[in-house]
Amino acid sequence: MPSRPVLDVSEEEMARARLYNFIAALLSRPPTQLEIDVASALSGDSSLLGQALTRVATAARATSVDDAADAFQALFIGLGRGELLPYGSYYLTGFLQEKPLARLRSDLGRLGVVRDADVSEPEDHVASILEVMAGMIEGHFGPQLTLEAQKMFFNAHVASWMPHFFKDLEENRTSPFYAALGCVGARFLEVEEEAFRMI
Amino acid sequence: MADDKTKTVEGEDRRGFLRSLGVGAVVGTAAIATGAVPAAAEEEPAKEGTGYRETEHVRTYYDLAKF
Repeated sequence: MPSRPVLDVSEEEMARARLYNFIAALLSRPPTQLEIDVASALSGDSSLLGQALTRVATAARATSVDDAADAFQALFIGLGRGELLPYGSYYLTGFLQEKPLARLRSDLGRLGVVRDADVSEPEDHVASILEVMAGMIEGHFGPQLTLEAQKMFFNAHVASWMPHFFKDLEENRTSPFYAALGCVGARFLEVEEEAFRMI
Repeated sequence: MADDKTKTVEGEDRRGFLRSLGVGAVVGTAAIATGAVPAAAEEEPAKEGTGYRETEHVRTYYDLAKF
């Protein structure tokens, strides 16, 4: 396999990828004990994002695997539907699988990203999009994508709706753990938006 | 739009910005003693550019452990 061109990806950029992956992992399925342990051990600095990470850690320490599984079920699965519908199309149009999903698929196609055959969720699930952001930074889809390319994707498919979703998650009354995670997501996207403005 | 020199300066600004707003906070705090982490030794399978897997447990654990 030919070696891929590697951009100079600083520790800060890789930290972004880890945050994207971290949030995606916790939104794609109920957490394992290991994931709860890892979340429990986080400690943030005094920034807004850092405080949010500390809040997740505190909430994680008070959460069992069973609690988290119940909360995940209530929030995202539910009977019929969960309290929240974490899909871009829903947030942008009020309906699932509408035009925003088609636009996302088209952009993913250009990036060479295809949905895994085992996955039935539409691609505009919050966790999928966050994983794509991480993959663009880490170079999972071939060469790492430039910040300009990341910015275009971010503006089209993240900034357009995800802050609203994270606000809803932060305000949920079912689970302090997921509320704290919503806070992390919201604060992180604010930082991302601001940082993309600099390029 | 920007020449290389400007870009470098912008890159430094950006890194400082990310760090100051807490993204840097997750840097260097890797030392989480989770003996349970299925060691980074478990190599991620080599992937071609088109592969996209919704849930990559190994990668996720590995990435989480790096916090």
